Amino acid sequence: MGKVTASASPKQNGLLAEVLSGRAERLRWTRTPTARRYLFGYTLLAPAVLYVTLLVGAPFVFSLYLAMSDATVGDPVARFVGLENFRAAVETSVFYTAVRNTLVFTVGAGILKGLLGTTLAFLLVQPFKGRKFVRALVVIPFTLPVAVSVLGWKWMFDSQFSVINWALSRLHLIGAYGSPDWPVWLGQPALALASVMFVNVWRGFPFGAIVLLAGMTSVPPEIIEAAKVDGANFLQRFRMVIVPMIAPILFIGTAFDTVFTLSDLSIVYLLTNGGPDGATEILPTLAYNTGIRGGALGRGAAISLFLFPLLLPAMILLLRTLRRRQY
Amino acid sequence: MATVALRAPRTHRQKEIRRHVLIYLGLIPFLVIAVFPIFWMAITAIKQDSDLYLMGANPFWFHLPPTWKNFDILFRQTSYGDWIVNTIAVAFWVSAITLAVGVPAGYALARLRLPFAENLGIGIFMTYLVPAIILFLPLARVVSRLQLQDSWWAMVVIYPTITIPFCTWLLMGFFKTVPLELEEAAMLDGCGQAGALVRVVLPVSWPGLITAVIFSFTLSMQDFLYALAFVSVSDQKPVPLGVATELIRGDIYFWGSLMAGALLVGVPVAIVYNLFLDKFIAGITGAAIK
Repeated sequence: MGKVTASASPKQNGLLAEVLSGRAERLRWTRTPTARRYLFGYTLLAPAVLYVTLLVGAPFVFSLYLAMSDATVGDPVARFVGLENFRAAVETSVFYTAVRNTLVFTVGAGILKGLLGTTLAFLLVQPFKGRKFVRALVVIPFTLPVAVSVLGWKWMFDSQFSVINWALSRLHLIGAYGSPDWPVWLGQPALALASVMFVNVWRGFPFGAIVLLAGMTSVPPEIIEAAKVDGANFLQRFRMVIVPMIAPILFIGTAFDTVFTLSDLSIVYLLTNGGPDGATEILPTLAYNTGIRGGALGRGAAISLFLFPLLLPAMILLLRTLRRRQY
Repeated sequence: MATVALRAPRTHRQKEIRRHVLIYLGLIPFLVIAVFPIFWMAITAIKQDSDLYLMGANPFWFHLPPTWKNFDILFRQTSYGDWIVNTIAVAFWVSAITLAVGVPAGYALARLRLPFAENLGIGIFMTYLVPAIILFLPLARVVSRLQLQDSWWAMVVIYPTITIPFCTWLLMGFFKTVPLELEEAAMLDGCGQAGALVRVVLPVSWPGLITAVIFSFTLSMQDFLYALAFVSVSDQKPVPLGVATELIRGDIYFWGSLMAGALLVGVPVAIVYNLFLDKFIAGITGAAIK
């Protein structure tokens, strides 16, 4: 017995010692400042991670499930129906109208915001008297809560008492009320789509300008001076120095604006609610009206998820740019 | 010689004046487009009803004396008072939750050199971009499960999903600018990491905290969809939803009161947002916030 123990013990002892010392090391490691810092740090992070996981992550996953179920507002028991909701959505013509309008709206308004925002940024980057005051006034559309300003536009687009029409009529660009060329901004299909886009542009161009301005002023003047000394003319300086330096900020601004525009319901909902006759129907209004008004939760969720592939490129672009900028 | 010397500064001044004139000319269309709707809303709010519907008359000025009647209607005949109280209550609780969750998280991401900190930070921020239009239907289920439908508490629970990602990111940037030596000194003096945060870092970070509170408020004021989807009882609505839904009866729009109610809350929000706009831009572009 003794012999056996003796022969086994060195090995066992070694093993035991190894295990023990390993555990001791681990024990000691949990008491190191690093471990305590990690524990402290992840404890501080936990509430934020939990909040967004429970109320953004989980609902997102749940929306996938909802989209594959026949859930309605009245009937909480949902059965799994696979891709039925997506198929049913794709088979309606209003869905195609909504997709088309969403794309026209986002791209068209995006281009206009880009042009106007860039022009405004180039004006505001010059030194002149009253610059701060002008800037504060020009960003009003962006800072006013969206529902508030859209109501103002609704009144300005009134079919009879539109102030825009009054002015146009006075300038003899259109006839008096009742004449055939009197525009009913929210009542004629093409004009209605143009009007909702215009309100989006009105809200978005100051944002574009301010983002661009932030980018322009972040280019150190010494670098521009250095380029001048090296003989670069204005266009060269712009193309070789300013654009590459402000490109990341531009990407970020565009990505944000695209996400905001694609997912914004309030402008169309309050101005036309998709009318007249579907002329301004976009995916958000269709999803809302199907899901909440129509009570077809599953179908509504499916429609809103069609936005996701449109949002994804903007989000990926943003993710990549932010990573490069931040670290 | 003398004439040249005299003329040189004048041409410079003339150049300056010409430059200013050109810039102002370029800015005028932008200013008109940006500001006119506010003017139009404001004048509508204090016009008498019959003054709004004069076909031939110049609508840019008064033809009947201005009136406060529209504001009176708001407070006497609608739940406008309740809407303001709800808006403020929601803003208060959303700010409180955002600070309670965002401050520790922002600090941990900025300062504690945690593994995966950068990915976690960007991950939390990216949830800011998951739009309400994708989340509102599943969240409607959450709200009804919590028995919060038709109560402004629904917004207290849901709005932090917008404000926590943004403010955590903002505060993270802010904490990065607090000198490390401050904390080290506090820890040498016997504070723990938590003590250093509470006693040294937070007191010097109050501009960042105020910014976070402002954005908790202004970002939740920008919402319309969640309120629309979750609250349909009149006395539980926030101002934007209340004004947009209760002052329109069928085809009849109470334009005067609508504009009065919208501006009364919209203008203060716009002013505050305006003052903090640079921080918002710095926040979303990932620049350091000072």
